[in-house]
Amino acid sequence: MNRYAAGLRGACLKQLAIVRIALRQQWAYKADFLLRACFLLLILYVLGQLYGAAYEGDYERTIGGFTLRQIVWYLVFTEAITMAGPPVGVRIEEEVKNGDIAVRLTRPLSYVGYHYGSYLGEGALRFIVLLLTGGLVAWLSVGPPAFGFGLPAYLLLAVLGLTLSFLLTAAIGLCAFWVEETRGLEFVLQKLLFTVGGLLIPVDLMPEWLQRVCAWLPFQAALYLPARVGVRYGGELMLQVCLQQLAWIAALGLLVAFIYKRGAGKLHVNGG
Amino acid sequence: MSTGGKRIGGIVRFLAANWKINLAAALEYRLSFFLLAGMMFLNNLIWLFFWYLFFERFPVVSGWRLEDVMLLWSVSTGGFGWVSVLFGNFNRVALIVSSGQLDVYLAQPKPVLLNVLTSRMSVTGAGDLIFGLVVFIAVGDLTLRGCALFACALLISGALFVGVMVIAGSLAFWLGNAEGIAGQVFGSFISLTIYPTGIFRGAAKFILFTVVPAGFIGYMPIGLMREFDPWFAAAAAGSAVLFAAGGMLMFRAGLGQYTSGNAIAMRN
Repeated sequence: MNRYAAGLRGACLKQLAIVRIALRQQWAYKADFLLRACFLLLILYVLGQLYGAAYEGDYERTIGGFTLRQIVWYLVFTEAITMAGPPVGVRIEEEVKNGDIAVRLTRPLSYVGYHYGSYLGEGALRFIVLLLTGGLVAWLSVGPPAFGFGLPAYLLLAVLGLTLSFLLTAAIGLCAFWVEETRGLEFVLQKLLFTVGGLLIPVDLMPEWLQRVCAWLPFQAALYLPARVGVRYGGELMLQVCLQQLAWIAALGLLVAFIYKRGAGKLHVNGG
Repeated sequence: MSTGGKRIGGIVRFLAANWKINLAAALEYRLSFFLLAGMMFLNNLIWLFFWYLFFERFPVVSGWRLEDVMLLWSVSTGGFGWVSVLFGNFNRVALIVSSGQLDVYLAQPKPVLLNVLTSRMSVTGAGDLIFGLVVFIAVGDLTLRGCALFACALLISGALFVGVMVIAGSLAFWLGNAEGIAGQVFGSFISLTIYPTGIFRGAAKFILFTVVPAGFIGYMPIGLMREFDPWFAAAAAGSAVLFAAGGMLMFRAGLGQYTSGNAIAMRN
């Protein structure tokens, strides 16, 4: 038992070290993520104008359970999760294609675990900057957030949302063991997050038939559900969403482990 | 034939040869060509799906309906598409200048900017162009007048895309590494051309019709195609000429500042 606990502790420490290194590495590219933040400002401004026109500037009106203020903050929350995620699928694909994966596999680290740690480290810093920038735009345009425990609940669920995004992207990146080009699959994933994930429009505002479809897919658990809890907080809803996310993380985690095991088993790297 | 006529004839033959080679190179990998173009088509289609969802919930927004936004997309993607196919380097000027790749073009006895712009064809741009045409056939006015106005709209929007990006890219002559800025201008300009202009008010609207001329592309379905407004048409055409000429002049001024290292670059 002690040996098992020591092993687990060691693995956690390694993961934390990777997160720390990724965080430092990202800090070196401040200009890059500040540019991203500028782009987020523009997108949020445009979307704010779009929904402002749709609501005719009426802050009291509720459509699909959302007021204008809630919609704008919802968009900040979904965009922050979307734009925070580093392109892990592309990195995995490159490593498999050019053989760099061989170097990673010789290290006493889980390959997928390494990428997850790196994803969280990079993503955390970007997420904070994007959330602060987006929050500033939302605050100035529609007023401060008044969501009670919504904000801390969102922060917790956003970590799970980022984990889900990582697993979805990693599953696709690992397909590079079989197919040379995974960008097409990643593109499809991005578009699924964009539409049925609720990036630009909350699922509640979609037609009922599509809402039923979305309920069976993991995409809304990555973006829509954390953002919805953020702006329309409820204790029971939060618990429900958290369980839903954990269930999807478990299912996708198993899928990623399966793909990796099968793929790594057939890997041949020549030269070096 | 006069010297001027000969020169123009030479440029036309040069452009035709460039485009022919670009097309042949793109079609060398036919499957990849169709996949990339198809992917861009799908990307745009998903955007239209978003707009369908949006207008299902809000049928009229600032006087705009789903059909108007579809027309806007046909103009924006069509305009972007044709310039990407014929002038595929228009959004890579900053990269070409800052990485020293311009040396290759300077050594050739052809107009430098035209040579840079036409030496690449964007395959995804073909998908955009086809998408724009398909959407126009689906929701546009297919009379002779309607088609002529659509052609004008494509011409104006394309010229605006090229003009704005050449201006942004030419900053690299003075700033050095201006790829980040040019990339931001590119992304932002595209983002502003795919939303209806009617949603913007006050200073934002003023900026969109002056400094960042995305408003002209955004308002094209209403001001040019649905209710022909001669003032708007003249302003849009004037703005396209102004930005295209501005881009040319800025590039030419930048050439005087250009220095490079000893990097050996291949033309691509």
